[in-house]
Amino acid sequence: MTGDIVLAAKFVGAGLAMIGALGAGIGIGLSVQGALQGMARNPDTYGTLLTNMILGIAFSEAIAIYCLVIAFLMLFVL
Amino acid sequence: MEARKSRKWRWGVNRWFVLLFIVLGIIGANLYPPVQPHIQVAAEALTERPLFSSPVLGDVYLTNTMLAMVVVDVILLLVVLAVQKAVRTGSLVPQGISGAVEALFEVLYNLTESSAGAKWAKTIFPYFSIIMLTVLVANLTKLMPGYETIGLLHLSEHGYPVKELFPGIFTLVKGEAQHGEGYNLIGFLRGLSTDLNFTVALALFSVFMTQLIGVRAQGVRYFTKFINVTTLFSKPGFGAIDLAVGLLELISEFAKILSFSFRLFGNMFAGLVLLVLVGSLIPVFFQSTVLLFEFFIGLIQAFVFGMLTMVFMAQATQGHGGNEHH
Repeated sequence: MTGDIVLAAKFVGAGLAMIGALGAGIGIGLSVQGALQGMARNPDTYGTLLTNMILGIAFSEAIAIYCLVIAFLMLFVL
Repeated sequence: MEARKSRKWRWGVNRWFVLLFIVLGIIGANLYPPVQPHIQVAAEALTERPLFSSPVLGDVYLTNTMLAMVVVDVILLLVVLAVQKAVRTGSLVPQGISGAVEALFEVLYNLTESSAGAKWAKTIFPYFSIIMLTVLVANLTKLMPGYETIGLLHLSEHGYPVKELFPGIFTLVKGEAQHGEGYNLIGFLRGLSTDLNFTVALALFSVFMTQLIGVRAQGVRYFTKFINVTTLFSKPGFGAIDLAVGLLELISEFAKILSFSFRLFGNMFAGLVLLVLVGSLIPVFFQSTVLLFEFFIGLIQAFVFGMLTMVFMAQATQGHGGNEHH
């Protein structure tokens, strides 16, 4: 019985940890929006904007990855 | 445009290969349905006995990611030898693999020069390129067939029954094993970036070399970025704020190690979990699209790791709020 509760708590905790991915999604959307607007207004800057956009996406994505790591820790390690 | 119009689009012979592989996949998935493997965050040990024991490190086992590291090193060394051979011949026009390496390095060097300046590009470029190449090869070899799927069987609580394919070669089959007779698989090789040790080591290397390059560029003044007492006595109010900001910089230096290592590890481990779960749920064809996605993620992460190292090193060479650089 207690084992089942612990198992259920693991899954609930992993699900709750992934709420943090919300912020990363918003962040990635905002940075892509800004980069695309810049590209549309000034197509010459396409190359540099793309590089910086990917860097920015990697930064915001890292937040979601932290959540994912916590979720994995709950599922597979604890 | 004219050339494209005059030639009719033809599928060629490749479609038959794709069809053949899909049919083979369906047959294989029906004969031996894939099982959902046991997923473990830490790298699995291949041997029962530890390689060596030390009071500081504890027991050190031979893990499957160590073997993957050997594979990555061998591939990098082969590339080095091929390029060296091409350079020795003395021809100015690079061909084959050395041409590809030259094109890649030229792009990377231009990138370094545009953000670090011509003066420091020569110092920063080796770190940038070697980190990026290592992570790139590690991420791409992770996708090779045989990784995590060929290995040793061992007894386990949540195991599966086994079936003998050829003499001495077994496969896991779906179903409930009798208690104490279930087996699980430990692959000989597992993607190098899915081991936290590798990513932490790379992150430590990158951050430490960043400090070293900062000291080389600015001397002792580099450390005023962290413990800023230059304005504390002339302007006490702003000086205190500068001191607090410097302490935050010090913390962010440690956060860099964390974010470097967990970004790469998280991405690659998520890829591994996604691949095995999708493989056990939909064993036909869908895994190939996931592999394509993983290929893309691997490229991006290698680029991001190298690029961030380069950007941080370039920042370290320039003084904060610098007087002579602006």
